[in-house]
Amino acid sequence: MTTADAQGETPAPVATSVSAKVLAECIVDLGITHIITVPDTVQKSFLAYMEQQDKVKILTVCTEDEAMGINAGLYATGHRPMMVIQNNGFYASVNTLKALAFDAQVPTFMFVGQFGRDLTKDSNDNRRRGVRMLEPTMQTWDVPYYRLENPEDIGVVEEAYRKCQEIEGPVAVIIGAPTS
Amino acid sequence: MQRQEAIDALCEYRGDCISVATMQAASPWKDAGQSAQDHVDASDCMGSAASLGLGLAMGAPDRKVMVLDGDGSLLMQLGSLVTIASLGPSNYYHFIFYNGLYQSSGNQTIPGHGITDFCKVALASGYKKAWKVSSKGEFLEALPEIMNSEGPVLIEIEIEREDGPTRFPGVPVAPQIKALREQFT
Repeated sequence: MTTADAQGETPAPVATSVSAKVLAECIVDLGITHIITVPDTVQKSFLAYMEQQDKVKILTVCTEDEAMGINAGLYATGHRPMMVIQNNGFYASVNTLKALAFDAQVPTFMFVGQFGRDLTKDSNDNRRRGVRMLEPTMQTWDVPYYRLENPEDIGVVEEAYRKCQEIEGPVAVIIGAPTS
Repeated sequence: MQRQEAIDALCEYRGDCISVATMQAASPWKDAGQSAQDHVDASDCMGSAASLGLGLAMGAPDRKVMVLDGDGSLLMQLGSLVTIASLGPSNYYHFIFYNGLYQSSGNQTIPGHGITDFCKVALASGYKKAWKVSSKGEFLEALPEIMNSEGPVLIEIEIEREDGPTRFPGVPVAPQIKALREQFT
């Protein structure tokens, strides 16, 4: 679905930026100890802000498979890690997701950026397959997910984190628009 | 060297290391009594042993971590060598059982067999040291230096082809992870 602005000419965005600072405060409040990332364009300002704040360790890795392995190892040694990746990276990590997040029952809390999204459309109506197929892929794999589409959705971050600890498995927050 | 000889040697030097094992190293490690505690099998996710071990090593910097990896497994996430070297845990000991074969799927030859040198790749990636051993005596002689070295280090253990049935420990990973986490929380 596309909405139009007052003049009816330029479609208005259906997803808008969430502040990196607000997002960072959420993460710190949750007690996250490590962010494991294959950097994501959509979340670049968030990653930069976290790096600047130096309150959570940032581990930049080569692949999302590795990120899930490291997440499991950190969790097993008493830490509270999370992952910051993009939609394409989620697709790349599904075998490890199956084994380490689901079968090994490791809470795997992920921010997944909708890289390449046309912000004037619902992600499920986007032309780009990488955007359009993210939610159906998560549904297929029974990965609970929450949409962070606008600043007023910020409460889903804590909700998603609690869910992740409760089910001891993967839970995603889908970052719908570039962080600011 | 037989795989079992290498396992026996590693058992002697494990001490209070946390261990990770994958594919055809996992069952003999379990049979040797090494899986009962402080251990996680990288099961059903070939290639992930190295990064799982990296998370453990970073999470428990006061404990040494032994990763019992396979040659085909490492190839699946070869970039892990770069990540491990980049994050540089000094307590990381990466043992590669090298037979040049995908043993679990029927002993097909791995890509790069006879061409690729894991020790050189590890060193070029930034590992602190690397060893290649092909006999039990050689391995036993090197192990004190290996385990006293600052990681990350890689040891390529050349083992003989095995044609028997493949074995997997069949131990669920979730309780292993929970048991380990209990020590740290």
